[in-house]
Amino acid sequence: MTRELNSPFLYLVCGGIILFVAVICVIFLIRAYRAGKAIGMDEGKMRRTIASSATFSILPAVGILLGVIALSGSLGTPWPWLRLSVIGALHYETQVAQGAAEQVGLTQLSASQMTPRAFATIALLMSVCIMWGMILSVFFNKSYLKRLGGNGNRAEKKAGQAGNGEETKKKAGFGDSAMVAMFIGLVSAYLGSYIGGFISGNGLFSFSGDLTPILVVCVSAIVMACFTYFAEKRHMVFLESFSIAGSMLIGMLAAVLFR
Amino acid sequence: MDQKKEQYLEQYNRGTHVIGRIVSLVTMAMLIGAPFLIGHHLGAMPDLKAAAKGFLAVGIVWTVSSVVEFLVYTPMLGAGGGYLAFITGNLINMKIPCAMSAREIAGTKAGTPENEIISTLSIATSSLVTILVLALGVLLLVPLQPVLQSEALQPAFANVVPALFGAMAYRYYRKNIRLSLAPLLLMSVLFIFVPSLISQTSIMIMPSGALTILLAWLIFRKRGTIEQR
Repeated sequence: MTRELNSPFLYLVCGGIILFVAVICVIFLIRAYRAGKAIGMDEGKMRRTIASSATFSILPAVGILLGVIALSGSLGTPWPWLRLSVIGALHYETQVAQGAAEQVGLTQLSASQMTPRAFATIALLMSVCIMWGMILSVFFNKSYLKRLGGNGNRAEKKAGQAGNGEETKKKAGFGDSAMVAMFIGLVSAYLGSYIGGFISGNGLFSFSGDLTPILVVCVSAIVMACFTYFAEKRHMVFLESFSIAGSMLIGMLAAVLFR
Repeated sequence: MDQKKEQYLEQYNRGTHVIGRIVSLVTMAMLIGAPFLIGHHLGAMPDLKAAAKGFLAVGIVWTVSSVVEFLVYTPMLGAGGGYLAFITGNLINMKIPCAMSAREIAGTKAGTPENEIISTLSIATSSLVTILVLALGVLLLVPLQPVLQSEALQPAFANVVPALFGAMAYRYYRKNIRLSLAPLLLMSVLFIFVPSLISQTSIMIMPSGALTILLAWLIFRKRGTIEQR
């Protein structure tokens, strides 16, 4: 199956979609530049924006590339390449792919277990689950921005106020906390399954299940803690771009060593 | 701003919405069509029933997250930047900080035409750089395929999901240890006593998430924040 997942046909399909998206970006870039010129914006400022955005994006893009490598062993290279170039994000792709793999009867997200039907289903679910931003943009971008209208930065002002002190934090509402709680619940479900798998995977309290996922979780969390320490305490902010992909790759490497 | 410029901007904005909507719809069609095309090539179509079940299990979480992202980020990005950012993704880790940094450099304010243009320039450039870096990287990966597919590395790829959850656990747990303990303990006990559920972990996300949100609400109501000081 690995060969099919890396076949020229898949590269062609995925590469074609990525090329289409690249063309869209070029169209938006040229239109915006022309519009800026037409309304008398400083061209030097616009060029500086393009240059700074390009340099700003290189390191995170390398981090995303590491994500493609992390997923390539399970889903081949072309599909993760497409997913992480268009809409995707590494943490989203991995979770949805795992969820889809379970529904098609795979015990783990792995190329060795993959079947054509399983792959097509996983690919479909990965595409569908993250489309809502685009769907909402199609139907509501115009009306939403129009509604904000003269107070274009109203929503941002609100967001800004939310960070000013405990009182304003309270006023900011429960929304952000609910999202954090949802993700804690999600992560806990999977960590619980690894613990349950080890303790009772081969019979109730047999303690003979697979320990590797638990060890990988620990290594990956420790590496993430190191990334966070250096980014926050040592002000090496650039490391944030590599934190998730870097922690994952080192955690995955640990699985090879534990074997 | 004189009337001519205003008319031009109005026309520009109208064009942005028309192009944005069309390309978003075409991209969606291609992304949904690709799995069917690939399935046809591989000789097996997607299992729609399994996909629907998978959506109910994991998709709902991301639907809520997408709605929040749309509401929060669209005003920051403007029309052009918004359409592009939701097509190209990687919002929190790349597009938003990139657009904010560009805006600071250019000194523009949200809701102004200048910000609309700076934001679009920034997101378009960032997306193009990402596409280019990934394309070059993938090109370099092709000769490495035999290494990536070697037997020795298979345990690594079989543990991609635990590796992700380890990293995410640190990120989410570290400021919310007390809140995290209850769902972790409950889920562990559940999977220990009903190990048959392990193959359906994604289904358990909902009860686990609901419980954590309930606990978070109780903490939030008492202290105004769920984070530990």
